[in-house]
Amino acid sequence: VTDAPVCITCGDVAVPMRVVATGGEDGLADCVTEDGDAAEVDVALIDAVTAGDAVLVHACVAIQRLETEAVA
Amino acid sequence: VKYVDEYRDAELGRALSIEIAAAVQPGRHYKIMEVCGGHTHAIYKYGIDDLLPDNVELVHGPGCPVCVIPMGRVDDGIALAREPGVIFTCFGDMLRIPGSTESLQDAKAGGADVRMVYSPLDALRIARSEPDRHVVFFAIGFETTAPSTALTLKRAKAEGIENFSVMCSHVTIVPPLKALLESPDLRLDGFVGPGHVATIVGARPFEFIPADYGKPVVISGFEPLDVLQSILMILRQIEGGEARVENQYKRVVPQEGNLRALEALAEVFVLRPHFEWRGLGFISQSALALSDAYADFDSERRFVVPGVRVADPKACQCGEVLKGVIKPWECKVFGTACTPEHAIGTCMVSPEGACAAYYNYGRFAREKVVV
Repeated sequence: VTDAPVCITCGDVAVPMRVVATGGEDGLADCVTEDGDAAEVDVALIDAVTAGDAVLVHACVAIQRLETEAVA
Repeated sequence: VKYVDEYRDAELGRALSIEIAAAVQPGRHYKIMEVCGGHTHAIYKYGIDDLLPDNVELVHGPGCPVCVIPMGRVDDGIALAREPGVIFTCFGDMLRIPGSTESLQDAKAGGADVRMVYSPLDALRIARSEPDRHVVFFAIGFETTAPSTALTLKRAKAEGIENFSVMCSHVTIVPPLKALLESPDLRLDGFVGPGHVATIVGARPFEFIPADYGKPVVISGFEPLDVLQSILMILRQIEGGEARVENQYKRVVPQEGNLRALEALAEVFVLRPHFEWRGLGFISQSALALSDAYADFDSERRFVVPGVRVADPKACQCGEVLKGVIKPWECKVFGTACTPEHAIGTCMVSPEGACAAYYNYGRFAREKVVV
């Protein structure tokens, strides 16, 4: 069964992502999902992140840190 | 993936299902509302309702931000999209929401420059790259999404960007819950609380539910075992004669919320005196507008917005569905005149809408992970 497309506004799509690089455009962090989808993420709402950290992302903003093993 | 696989384990699901069955009294009916559209989606995707005893009824709440936008607000958006020089940006699901005569997608087909974005930051990027045009972002969403708009506006202000504004339609979760609790036609026994809203606002805003109304609230994650465990926690509170806010989603939700996000919200937004919700009518202090410090970025102050008021279509019963008074299939047009392809009501448009969740998973391909 394929997933129905999920609406971005809903809490449902707060997705776990891994930080790949920090210090990008305007202090955004490059992040990827487990499936390899990449996004530039605003990390202003959480403590400083470094490459390898796992974060929960909603609408391109990290709203929470996750334990590092949360994202493969 | 940790946090995903371990919360979809079929064995544990079966065990929880048995515990739930043991926790209820056979002669009693339990009506539990899941507030968030994400939970509604998970319940139907994984067939969680099939794992519950017959006397535990799940009622779907108003927590889908697309579903609660009234028609008039869509008409206002279309009016802005038609302003000369405007690039109108919004999340994908807003494109298909019906206004009184057309949707934003129709307006786009008719020549308006309407573009889908994945975040407000994407809209700001368009503004930077097209300085001769004015970019409007149609901001919707609960407290989970509002910080993203707030951070983008703070950036826009810091950069001195003048061709960007926000048509703010962010809503807040507590006032509609109060309205539902005051509603005489809906008697609820407990709430599955919205996990990602609580990640921002914390657990405290929900404390009025047990304190003033004597109903338990369990803030829940979005995986199937999260939802099952939350239901069990609610039932145990009810049977134990308790009512308090519990946090099932402790791995993500801090008790106090995200203080930086709350600071950003307080700087950028103020509460609107009232806001119209589809199906629920006007609810006081239930939505956000831009603060005076961000007046220059307020589409409603930069443009003349018609402020259209349109009654919901008569055939559509989204209001009753949003209040949990009827189930989606009880609506007269469900699955016939109203389908995800040709939606009359908002609840059928967004995948988190209760009607779309029933239609997509109930009628065709309900995926079962357990039993």
